[in-house]
Amino acid sequence: MKWWPLYGLKKKWTERRTYESPVAVGRIPGSRFRRSLFVYVIDVGSSNALNFEIDALEAPQYNIHRFGIYMTDSPRHADVLLILGRPVKAMISPLRETIDQIPRPFGIIILDDCTDNPVGLNDTELLNVIAEVKGVPDPSQLLGMLLECLRVNGK
Amino acid sequence: MNILIGVLQKEENEYLVVLKEGKACLVASESETTGKEYLNYQILKEHNLLIKGEPVSGYGVFRFRYGPVTSGLREAGSFSLYTYGEKILHTTIDLNWKHRQMEQSMTGQKPDDAVKLSEKVCSNFAVSHSVACSLALENALGIRANTLVRNWRTLLMEAERVYNHLHVIYKLASAAAQKVLASHLGALFEESLRINKALSGSRYLMGINQINHINNLPALDTIRKTIKDYQGIIFQFEKLYKHSLSNPNFLDRLHHAGMLSREQASSLGLSRPSLRACGLEDNLNGATGEHLIALPVVTQQEGDALARMETRAEELVNSCQYLIDHLKVSDIWEGYNVADMAVKPEGEGLGISHSPSGAVGYYVVIKNNRVSYLRMFTPSYPGMHAVSEALKDQVFTDFPFVYDSFGVHFTDAAC
Repeated sequence: MKWWPLYGLKKKWTERRTYESPVAVGRIPGSRFRRSLFVYVIDVGSSNALNFEIDALEAPQYNIHRFGIYMTDSPRHADVLLILGRPVKAMISPLRETIDQIPRPFGIIILDDCTDNPVGLNDTELLNVIAEVKGVPDPSQLLGMLLECLRVNGK
Repeated sequence: MNILIGVLQKEENEYLVVLKEGKACLVASESETTGKEYLNYQILKEHNLLIKGEPVSGYGVFRFRYGPVTSGLREAGSFSLYTYGEKILHTTIDLNWKHRQMEQSMTGQKPDDAVKLSEKVCSNFAVSHSVACSLALENALGIRANTLVRNWRTLLMEAERVYNHLHVIYKLASAAAQKVLASHLGALFEESLRINKALSGSRYLMGINQINHINNLPALDTIRKTIKDYQGIIFQFEKLYKHSLSNPNFLDRLHHAGMLSREQASSLGLSRPSLRACGLEDNLNGATGEHLIALPVVTQQEGDALARMETRAEELVNSCQYLIDHLKVSDIWEGYNVADMAVKPEGEGLGISHSPSGAVGYYVVIKNNRVSYLRMFTPSYPGMHAVSEALKDQVFTDFPFVYDSFGVHFTDAAC
């Protein structure tokens, strides 16, 4: 059997291209995310397309680590919270608890995939929202948004 | 074999939705004994969002809650694992965190709007939900979909199967810390979503299927490119899969993890990979009544996470080959692709499709061209019961192999 790492080196998947953000990304007061951005993802009622897009964003075509972008396993290590979906009633409290755990300064990006769907709560009055997208952005748009966040908040 | 996938109330009478040799039918529950032959009857009748909610107790037994906010389980849902520190004794699954009341949202909608909403029940099963919903609505409205529509629905369902199966195997490889394999599979997963986008304009094949109508039929050049792309997926996947099967580190993690017996699988009303991995056939491949030849039913014997992965891998290759063979001749399919036709203003109908993880069923009643009653039966609901069963006596490190191998989703189960 061929050793897996050697197998992996044969193909270069990473793409060299530019990534555009579909929306303007706001500045987080007091932030200085120059070299890296740690992102925590929370699903509060998405239809699952966004969960799949986050998995796709971690595919080697995008190779997000080369830009210093990492998905973190804990909100306590996060710079940015990515909220997937429009919150259902049961998830409001866990969402607020998660936000309380994030160290300051931090930003929130809301991805709302339920635009034509009369489910979930519309107004959760969250602070520090730096971007909000209606619909399901593809991974290149998600990456564009995170890169824009680094650019805006790294100054 | 007969599989009970749902129980519904209609005008104060109870009806069972049963798959008989892959075909869906409504069986009236006329006597007290009806339904008792199906062991999952009570589960489906109650349709409790707290699965196996009875706690267990004993010396040193404690409850460990996993979710709804944890990186190991990205979807909003939670497991309560009862353990004394090693073996999982019992698992309770709470679906309330993802309950979006989709049935209520779809009630009162126009038929076309209901089909659109059905795609949002679980986006990675968008085609399966949309096809089952539109079939139910067509049956209610007295419409027989034309050949072109039925054939394209079949192809779109296979395209959905390809990316979902790739996703499940990618998750299993990630959980087993097979970084190189997982990265390659992740890349193929992204490629398959890009193929969907090129073919239909949507990465999740949304907005294409309607009542007796297919939107955005692809041009011939696009179809030729798609065929080449699927050939590439088969070539790369088979090479990777063969390589992974020679890796004992990977196989040992999946072997004997989350085993289900044939009796358990059939009593829970499972279908497609979860049932077939136990050596049982559901004859579900021809369930949508399409004109195209049905795919062979792939089975394995062991009933563990490895068998479920092997079933999915074989189905994935079959689906890609099926797409290649049929896309080549798709330009000669005939169909009057007309949205408006004379329909009944009222009626009731049942529709069934086969998603990557099992049977999806819809029952609808239409009055005054609006959906007045709707029930949906999703594969993830019995799948979650199966996860709970399969986790019994496992250690926590086997949790991701058990959960991921069933390919179930909270959004689909809670709907």
